[in-house]
Amino acid sequence: MLKKNRKATAEPPAPPKPVSVDSKTVIGDQISIEGAIRGKEDLLIEGSVKGSIEVKAHHLTVGVKGQVEAEILAANVTVSGKLAGNVNATGRVEITREADFNGEIKTRSISVEDGAYLKAVIEMDREPLKSVSPSGKPEEKKSSDPIKEPLILAGKGSKGI
Amino acid sequence: MTAFTADRKNTDLNHDSGAVAYTSNALKLFMEHLDQRPERKLLDVGPACQENIRFFASRVKKLYVCDMFIRLDRCIRKGSPADQIWEKIDYPPQSFDGILLWELADRLDDPDVKRLVTLCHTLLRPGGMAMVVVLGDQSGSSAANAFVVGQNFRVYLRLQPHLHLPLRSRQNRDVLSMMAPFIPAKSFICRPGFMEFLFRRE
Repeated sequence: MLKKNRKATAEPPAPPKPVSVDSKTVIGDQISIEGAIRGKEDLLIEGSVKGSIEVKAHHLTVGVKGQVEAEILAANVTVSGKLAGNVNATGRVEITREADFNGEIKTRSISVEDGAYLKAVIEMDREPLKSVSPSGKPEEKKSSDPIKEPLILAGKGSKGI
Repeated sequence: MTAFTADRKNTDLNHDSGAVAYTSNALKLFMEHLDQRPERKLLDVGPACQENIRFFASRVKKLYVCDMFIRLDRCIRKGSPADQIWEKIDYPPQSFDGILLWELADRLDDPDVKRLVTLCHTLLRPGGMAMVVVLGDQSGSSAANAFVVGQNFRVYLRLQPHLHLPLRSRQNRDVLSMMAPFIPAKSFICRPGFMEFLFRRE
C-alpha cells in the first residue's frame, strides 16, 4: 500500500500544455513571449510576441489583440492585430481591416481589407512565364500590361483575390 | 517634353454598377514612365487597397505603401496636429522612381500640402514622377475614396467609409502652384472638376 502510494507521488506532474484546438496553438492575450518560436502546427497570437516565428508549413494568425514584433516565416499569415516586422509567406498573406502593419511582406498572394493600416514594402513572387512566342523565346510580360482580374465595385471593403 | 496640356479627348467617364469609373490616361503614362526606370520603386500613399497592391506589386520591383489617409484620419480623431503624419514618411532621399499621391493634397491644408510636396521632391529620384488627382468643386461629395485600378487602367472610386477627412477643393492653378518644385508633364480632365496631373522631378 505504502509502496504504491510512494510510486504515485514520485511521478512528476505533467507540464501544462499550451491550448491547442484542432492542431492550433493559441498564445492568449495575457501571455508575453520574447524569443524564437518554431512550430509544426497553426498558431494564433492574441498576446505579445517579440522575436522570430517559424511555422513553415502552417498558418500564423495575429489576432485582433495580438501585438507582434517579429521576423515571420509561414505558409499563410493573417494579420488582424498589430504587427511590426518582416513576413515571408510561401502561400498567402491576409490583412484584415483591424490590422496595423509595419514592415516587409514577401508572398505569392495578398489580400488587404479596406481600413487596414499599412506601412509596408511589398514584393510579390511572380509565377514563371510559361507561354512561348512564335520566335521560340519566352514571352516577356510587359510590366504595364493590365492584369485581368475580377474587380469588386461595391462600396464595402473587399476580401480575397 | 514638359509641356502642360489638358486632354479631354482621351478621357473616358463611365458609371459602372453605380461606381464612378474612368480610364486613367495619366496612370498609363505614369506606368510607362516607371517601366523605363531601372529600379522601378514606387510609393503609394493610399488609401491602400488590395487591387492596387496586386496591380502595382506585379509591375514594379518594390512597392512601398504608406497609408497617409488612415494616419491623417487617426490624427484628426485624436485631435493631434496633422503634421505628425509626416514622420511616417521616413524614407531616405531619392528612394523612389514614382509616387502616387492620388487625392491626398485635397485632404490637407496649405502648409501641410507644402510639406507633402517638399517631401515628395526629396524622395523622388531625378527624372522620377508624381501623380496627383484633385476632385475639384464638382466632386459632389467630401467622402474619401480609394482609386481602385482595374483592367486597361480603368480606375474605380470605392468609398472608404472609415475615413472622415475634410475636403479642400483645389483648382488647376492651385495644383500647378503647389507643385512648383516639379516640372508639369501632363494633365487630364476626367470629368468636370476631376483632374489628374503628372509632375516630373528634374
